[in-house]
Amino acid sequence: MSTRLAAWGLMSPLGVVLLLIFVAPVLFMVPLSFQEYIPGMGTSGAWTLENYTQIATDGYYREIIGRTLVLGLGVTALCLLLGYPLAWCMTRVGPRLRLALTLLVIFPMLLNLVVRAFGWIALLADHGLINNLLMDWGLIEAPVRMMFNLSGLLVGMTHIYLPFMVLMLVPAIQSVPQDVHDAAATLAAGRARIFWSVTLPMTAPGILAGSILVFVLSISALVTPRMLGGATYKVVATLIYDEFLLTLNWPSGAALAFVLTIIALAVVALSNRVLGRWGGLS
Amino acid sequence: MPELTLENLRKEYGGHVAAANISLTVADGEFVSLLGPSGCGKTTVLRMVAGLIAPTSGRILVDGRDITRVPTHQRQIGLVFQSYALFPHMTVFDNVAFGLRRQGVRGAELQQRVQQALASVRLPDHARRYPRQLSGGQQQRVALARSIAPQPQLLLFDEPLSNLDAALRDEMQFELKRLQRELGITTLFVTHDQTEAMSLSDRVCVLAEGVVQQYDRPEIIYDRPATAFVARFIGRSNRLDARLEARDGAQCHLRLAQGARLVSHHAAAGVAPGESVAVVVRQEDVLLLSQAGEHTHRARILLRSFVGSRVQYALQLDGGPELIAEVAASADQAQLQPGDGVHVGFRPERVYVHADASGRAPAAVPMQARP
Repeated sequence: MSTRLAAWGLMSPLGVVLLLIFVAPVLFMVPLSFQEYIPGMGTSGAWTLENYTQIATDGYYREIIGRTLVLGLGVTALCLLLGYPLAWCMTRVGPRLRLALTLLVIFPMLLNLVVRAFGWIALLADHGLINNLLMDWGLIEAPVRMMFNLSGLLVGMTHIYLPFMVLMLVPAIQSVPQDVHDAAATLAAGRARIFWSVTLPMTAPGILAGSILVFVLSISALVTPRMLGGATYKVVATLIYDEFLLTLNWPSGAALAFVLTIIALAVVALSNRVLGRWGGLS
Repeated sequence: MPELTLENLRKEYGGHVAAANISLTVADGEFVSLLGPSGCGKTTVLRMVAGLIAPTSGRILVDGRDITRVPTHQRQIGLVFQSYALFPHMTVFDNVAFGLRRQGVRGAELQQRVQQALASVRLPDHARRYPRQLSGGQQQRVALARSIAPQPQLLLFDEPLSNLDAALRDEMQFELKRLQRELGITTLFVTHDQTEAMSLSDRVCVLAEGVVQQYDRPEIIYDRPATAFVARFIGRSNRLDARLEARDGAQCHLRLAQGARLVSHHAAAGVAPGESVAVVVRQEDVLLLSQAGEHTHRARILLRSFVGSRVQYALQLDGGPELIAEVAASADQAQLQPGDGVHVGFRPERVYVHADASGRAPAAVPMQARP
C-alpha cells in the first residue's frame, strides 16, 4: 500500500502540471467548439452543432481530413518499410558500427525543421536540383511536380519521422532472443520463414509503438506541410492554423482539432487491437 | 533411426580452441551426454551438430552422410534449449505445429500429431494456452513436444533442465528418459550435472578444455576414470599428493607427502617409481574401521555433517593430510563424533593414481573402446 501511495506521490507534481497546462486548455475549447460563429463579429454566444456538421457534410473539409489520414498512414508505412531493415541491421552489426549508425539516424534531428524543409524545397521545387538535373540530361522536358502535392509531403515527412521509427524498432528487434531464431531454424524454417513467422510478430510491440508515434506526429505536423504543401495543399493541422489565425473562426478550428484528435485515437485503438492480436499480446 | 558420427570436429575462436578434434559416435537410438564444466566446449559441439556454429575443421556424419555444410533448417533435428525458446506469440498448439507445418502436414493429421506430441509430454489439455500462461516445467514440456513432433533424426538437448527447480528436474529426468526410450531417437544431451548425465545416458562423454577425457558407459566412467580430471570431476573425491615408491604392473605402492603409505590397483600408464603423482579417492571409498589392519592409518574425526541419507566426516590422518569420508547414515560408523579416533583404510581397487600432479586435464587421451 505504501509503495502505491509513494508512486502516486511521485507522479503528482508532473500530473498537476500536465492537467493544468495541457488538459485544462483543451477542455476549455470544448464549449468553444459548440459556439456559433459570425464572420467579422466573432462568437455570438449561441450554441450550435454546425461547426461539427459542416466538417461531416462539406466536401472541402472531408477532402482535407482524408488527405491528412492518407498522409499519416503513408508516412507511417514508408517509415516502417525503410526503418525496419535499417533497425534490423543495427542489431546485427558490431558495437562501433552500431554507434555510427545510431548517430547517423539521430543526426537529422539536430537540424531545425525549417532548415530541413528548405533543403527539400531546394531539391524538389520546379526549378530545384532534381528537376534541373533531369532536364539537363534530357530525361524530361518540363519540370515534374514534386512539391505542393502528396508525394512531396510524403518524402519530406518520412525523412523527418524516420528516426522516431528506427529508435522504437531497434530495442524491439534486439529483444527477440537468438535462441528463438535458432529454435525456428531447427524446426526446418528458412530465413524468410523465420522472419515472417517469428521475428516480425515478435517485434509487433515495437512496430506498434513506432507506428503510433509516427502517425500521431505526422497528422498533427504543421511546419513541414505548410512549407512543402504551400498555402493551397492543406492538411488538417494547417487548416486549423488558418481557421484560428487567418479567418479567426475559432469555433470551427476547435471543432476540427477535436475531430482530428478523435480520429487519431480511433486509429491508435484499432491498430492496437489488430497488431496486438497478431503479436499474441492480447 | 540414424547414427551420428563426429570426425575430428574442431572449433577455434581466434586463438582459443573451444573444441579440439573431437571424434565420437552416437549409435542408432543411443542417448549420449556431453558432460563437463562450463567452458569445456560441450555446447559448442552441440551447436555444431545443430548447424548453428560452423566448425573450423572436421566432419559431422549422420548415417554416413556428411551434413557438415547442410544448413540447420535442412538437418531434421530437434533442439531443446535451456531457455525453452518457445514462440511467445503463438499458442501451445501453434508452437508444436510449427515444425510439422514446415513439413507440409495439414488438417486432421496436423491436429492428431500435435495432440499426440502433447499427450506424450503429458500436457494434452494445454493446446490453446500461450507459453506465458504456463509454468517453467510446462514450458519445457511444450518445447520438448515441439522438437519431437516432426520426428527428427537427432534430438539435441542444451542443458534443458538447468532452469528448473530440483524436484521438477528429477521428475523431468524420468520423463525425458521414458520418452527417449519410447521414441528411440538418437540423442545428444549437454549438461554440467553429472547425476543427470549418469542417470539418463547410455554413454557419457566427459569433456574438458575442448578435449574428450573419456567416452564410456556411466558405470565405467564412475568406476574406472581414465584421467585424473575424470576421477576428480565425477563423484565427490579426495585428491592427495603422493610419490610412487614401487610398481608392479598396475599395482603400485605410494607414500603420501606426510609419510602415510597406501596401495593402488589403478596406476595410469607412464608413471614411473620416484615420480610425484596425484592420488584420487572417492569420499565413499574412504573406509572407517574400528580396528587397525594392513595399510590402515590412524585418524581423528574433525567434523561430522549429516546430509540426509549419508553422513560426511572431515578427518585428519595422523601425520597426513585432511580427508573427507562419506558413509551411509544407517551404518555403524555414522555415529562417530568429532574428536573420536578411527582407523582409515583404502581399497586398492578404488585408489586412482595419475601422472599429472596438477590434476589438470591432459592434452590428449586414448579413447575407450566401444562397449
